[in-house]
Order: sequence, then structure tokens, then C-alpha cells
Amino acid sequence: MNGVIMASYFTVASLLSIGLYGVMTKRNLMKIFISLSIMDTGVNLMLITIGYLPGGTAPIENANFAKYVDPLPQALVLTAIVIGVSVTALALVLLIKYHSKKGTLEYKGGMKW
Amino acid sequence: MVVHAVLLIAIPLLSAFLIPLIRKISKWFTISILTLNSIFSILVLFEVYNKGMIYEIIAFSPPVGIYLAIDNLSALLALIINVFGAINFVSTLKEKSFKFHMLYLLAIAGSTGIVITGDIFNMFVFFEITAVASYALVASKKSEKAVEGAIKYMILGSLGSTFILMGIALIYSQMKSLNIYDIANRISMMNENIKWISFAFLLTGIGVEAELFPLNGWVPDVYEGASSGIASLLSFGPSKAAIYAIARLLIVIFPSMHTYEIALWIGVATLLMGEIAAFMQTDAKRMLAYSSIGQMGLILIAFSLVSQGIRYSIPASFFLIVSHASAKSSLFLLSHKNKMGSALTKYGGITAVLSLIGMPPLAGFWGKWYLFLGAASEKLWLVIILIFFSGIIEAAYFARYLHRSIGEEKMEASYAYPMAVLSTFSLAFGLLPFIYKMANMHLLGGV
Repeated sequence: MNGVIMASYFTVASLLSIGLYGVMTKRNLMKIFISLSIMDTGVNLMLITIGYLPGGTAPIENANFAKYVDPLPQALVLTAIVIGVSVTALALVLLIKYHSKKGTLEYKGGMKW
Repeated sequence: MVVHAVLLIAIPLLSAFLIPLIRKISKWFTISILTLNSIFSILVLFEVYNKGMIYEIIAFSPPVGIYLAIDNLSALLALIINVFGAINFVSTLKEKSFKFHMLYLLAIAGSTGIVITGDIFNMFVFFEITAVASYALVASKKSEKAVEGAIKYMILGSLGSTFILMGIALIYSQMKSLNIYDIANRISMMNENIKWISFAFLLTGIGVEAELFPLNGWVPDVYEGASSGIASLLSFGPSKAAIYAIARLLIVIFPSMHTYEIALWIGVATLLMGEIAAFMQTDAKRMLAYSSIGQMGLILIAFSLVSQGIRYSIPASFFLIVSHASAKSSLFLLSHKNKMGSALTKYGGITAVLSLIGMPPLAGFWGKWYLFLGAASEKLWLVIILIFFSGIIEAAYFARYLHRSIGEEKMEASYAYPMAVLSTFSLAFGLLPFIYKMANMHLLGGV
């Protein structure tokens, strides 16, 4: 496997683990949402890496090149980034509301049955 | 008349973004769009009934173009989401904000999209549309509980959608395709390990929306915090669409004995956890929320019996979905005041409860009947005993619920009428013979 791809998959794995660790251990809601967006970035990088071709160029018609990277994952990532931004924006609005009701961003409650 | 199924998604999606331009009449505009969409969904259902499965291709031929695949279950779900959405909107007429109407239309468009799309990435996009709209709708009540519920829902929901995207990426890395049926045809070519990992990612991700054990920590808080109309919308819209997405995943993309077995035991765990927790509740909305979880488990069990009990599995899930969508949304509307004073609310509440418990000839009875037949044909005696056991618990807490809520006080007409109409559906679907015939069409992915 190509070195670039190796390094990229390694980054994906570490981003996902860092994000998941943050979601599971932090009590501060802001930190939880930051961890979620780290995970999101990891998955986006994963998609880009899947479409990557060593030595390939941008998928635009060009007479000088024969190898192109797969364009579909890039389109998917573009969609995923837009979705991620909107989710983050909504999350921040909800956090402002939460803070104005409770005066803190720490989540105190647990699972209630 | 032939209706293009894509209109079911396109009309509410486009009109949702038109609403900010016509704020003054947004309420009437939303009502007319929802009515139009319900008529279209009925036409699509009849088309599926007459012709069988519909495939629709937009712009390019598959596997490149946008691809819709509508079988009997997805036509039924599209009907439930749109018609119930229109009826349920009556209970939210007091909301004046145009933003609320916009979000309502987006939630309807997104859940319809999940059930009729044949493309796995579009499914993810519709999941996100539905999820973002429902987070905001839950928080629209502005109480402390609503905001807390919305945040909980949002954390788990975003985690779930990250997992869905990861699963899709893994499938794409192997198959270079996003079309569900294209993937299903070539699934045996996939690397065995990657196949299992992507199945796990997708099941976990969709399971958050489908309220499966152990991913359902958000459910009681959200239903308790949200206003009654929104709780009702969540019970027949997003959660039903998500359980259908799991059915496509299980039966169409990854059909194997192991996946059915995993789904079966997750379903049983969800059922038991939901029913036992519902029995221990003191708050009516939390009780209904846990009961919802239990019913979702029941539907998942019905889907997982597909290998031996295919003759019973699809009809069982069909009737369970109808029964749960109509009865639970009606009970959530009732939980606005929780008082059955007038004859109309008494009729609605009692019909809904009887359908959930499984009394003939309501839809819930047929669901459980086929479920038992399916489980018996797979010789799963333990599962049958557990379903019986949970049915007894269910009857016990619903009897207590009826006992406490029948009283003299009356509810507003804007809640009483929609709830009576909604629970009439579980009566109607139990009685109409053509529904029975439709439930027996095995169209789900041509199995």
C-alpha cells in the first residue's frame, strides 16, 4: 500500500478514536459537540482516501493526464461537509438555549428510567 | 393517473424553502401541500398495488442517477407518513411561526425520502434532513425539558449519522456503487470482514433513529419534552422510516442467517427493555415512549423472521407498523391533557389501546398473529414465550393507563378530532381485505 494512503488511514483511525473518546468521557456539552465534529472530519477523510489514486489528478478533463481520482467520493464529502456545518450550527443554537435555562454547559443528569 | 413518486419528496422539500417568502399564509400553504402530498401517496399506493414494485430513475440511468425503488412496504409507509402528517398537523394549528411549518414539511419530506429511495447515500442525506428538522421541532417547545431532550437526541443522532456515513464509505470502498440493488446483487464479492464491519456501522447508526436497544437513551426524554403534536409526529414519521431502512439493510443488502439472528435478539432485547421500563413509569408520556421502544422491538423481530417465515414476516411487520403508527400517535395526542371526557376521545383512546394490546379485528391483532405464525415456523419457542410475556405486561400498564385517564374533563377539539381519526386507521386497516392482499405481496427487494 502506498505511504500516503497508509498515513491517511492512520489519521482516520486516530480522528475517529479521539472523537469517540471525547463523546463518551466528557460532560461538557460544548466538548461533546467538538468531539462529534472531529469524528465527522475523520469520516470525510476516509471517503477522500477511498477515492484517492496515487499519482491521480483532479477529475477535470485534461489532455495532459490519463489518471484521475474517483470524483464520486469528493461529491459525497462535499454533501457531508454541508450537512456537518448545519448540524453544528443547530447544536450551537441549542447550547445557547441550554445555557440560558441552566446557566452552565455541564450536563449533570444521567440515564433516567 | 400516473404520479411520479419523486413528487412525494420534491413537493414538500421545495415548498418548505418557499415558506419564508410567504410568511403570512404559511399555515394554509402547509395544509394544502400536506393534503396534496397525501393524495399523491394514496395514488402511489394504488399503483404499487396494481403493478407491483415501481422503480423510478431520475436524470441518468443507474448506478449513476438518482434512483427510487418503491415496494409494498415503502408505499404503505409513504402513505402513513404523509396522511398522518396531514391529520396530525391539525393538532399543531396553534403554532403561528412560519419556521415551525417549514420544519414540519422538512421532517415529512425527509422521512418519505428514506422509505422510497433506492440509493444508500441519498438515504443518509434524507436521514440528516429528518434528524435536523426533528431536533429543531423538539426544541421548539422552549421548555427546559424540551431543550435537554433535543440536545440528548442531537448527540446520539449525530453520532449515529457519522456511523451511517462510515458504513456507506466502507461499502463504497469495496463495491464502487451506492445503488442498493446493485450492491445487493454483488454483495458476495465483498471482503467478508469489511462486510461485517460496515453492517455493524450501519445497524448502529440507523438503530439510533429506530429506537433500538441499547441506543435509545434519548427516546423518553425527547417524547416527554416535546409538545404532543411533535411527539406524535416522531412516533409515526422518523422512527418508522428508520425501522424500514433497517429492513432494507437486513433483507436486501445483507441477507444471511447471522444478520437475521443478530436482528432477532436485538429486537427481543428492545422489546423486553421497553415493556418492562414502561411498566415502571409514572408519567404518561414517558410510559408511552418506552412502550414505543417495545413496539419497535416487535417490528424488528417481525423483519428478522424473513428467512423461514417469509410468508408471515412481511405481513406481520406491515400490520405492526400500521397499528403502532396509528395507535401511538393517537395516544401521544391524547397525552396532551390525558383526560378522556367526550365520547370521541374515549373511542379514540380505547381503540388505540386495544390495537396495541392486539385485540381482533384491529390491525395490531393481525400483526401479532402473523408474528406468532412466523416465529412458530422458525421454531423459536423461547421468542414466542417472551412476546407473550411482554404482551401481558403491556396489557397491564395500558389497563392502568385507561383507568386513570377516563374522566370528566374534555380536551380541545383540535386534539380530539385528529386522535379519533388516527386511531380509526388501526380499525380500518384491520378490516379492509385489500390491505390483507397487499400485505401478502412479497416485494421487498424481490425476495
